[in-house]
Amino acid sequence: MVEADNRIPLDWDALEVGETFEKFEYVLTQEMIDEYRRGVMDTEAAFPTISHKVDVRQFNARYSDNGSVNARCAFHCYNSPVPGKTLTVTAWVADKYLRRGKNYIVTEAISVDEDGRLIDRVITHELKQPWEVGKKWDG
Amino acid sequence: MGRVERTYAEGDPVGPLVKEITQEAINLFEGSAGHSEASQFTDEEAARETLGTSGTVASGRMSISFALELMRRHFGADVFNKTGMVDLRFIRPVRPGDTITFTGEVTDTSREANGLKVNVKIEAQNQKGDMTGVGSGSAIVPNAFLPPDE
Repeated sequence: MVEADNRIPLDWDALEVGETFEKFEYVLTQEMIDEYRRGVMDTEAAFPTISHKVDVRQFNARYSDNGSVNARCAFHCYNSPVPGKTLTVTAWVADKYLRRGKNYIVTEAISVDEDGRLIDRVITHELKQPWEVGKKWDG
Repeated sequence: MGRVERTYAEGDPVGPLVKEITQEAINLFEGSAGHSEASQFTDEEAARETLGTSGTVASGRMSISFALELMRRHFGADVFNKTGMVDLRFIRPVRPGDTITFTGEVTDTSREANGLKVNVKIEAQNQKGDMTGVGSGSAIVPNAFLPPDE
């Protein structure tokens, strides 16, 4: 059975900077950390949270669009997450801008663990016309 | 790597760090967060439909992970994992089969309330010498991690 898509079609003009999404929680398991470390070929990689794309998760759950491509990303480290702990993520729309006729949305998120330790902050600029990648580099 | 005690000065090289990108590595990266659905990162057809590219690409967040490693190796985990940051703009797609070299250079330092802030320019190039990412990073090194005369 196919689940109904209850997402709202994205209206970039109407999107409000500051819109904050419902918090969500997940447990970061040792298995997730190990798989991430194999993926990035770094046995000491401390922030597997980056692969969870938590800053856009709630955005993508609320809005439907034609996809996106990551144009810029900033990542701030505060404390390495501990396996088995529940992480709570708060994400919001930090900015939006138009550059060379293309639409960008900036999302931001902070993660805090169940002991109240601040884990990280991630800020991502997403280009909302992802086909521009193919036009520019595979055209 | 844990505690590193060293001096920091403008022009200091950071890295390099070399990574060979494979589809398997991309799949592990995506899978580690439970992203099992076909995407521009894991499925050629999805990449064609979404990006218009001939094949898959690596998430920019993989490049962020590599930049974090570059910086952590320079500053030590004790410092970087608590005070570090990276900020990259993605210039070109990174694809399976690419070899990406991350390099950095200290651009300046400044005294902060909680230590010495060290700013680093970061670049990533593929095997053809084309820039795939450019940006910056920083870490605040506590005085306890600096030599006494720093």
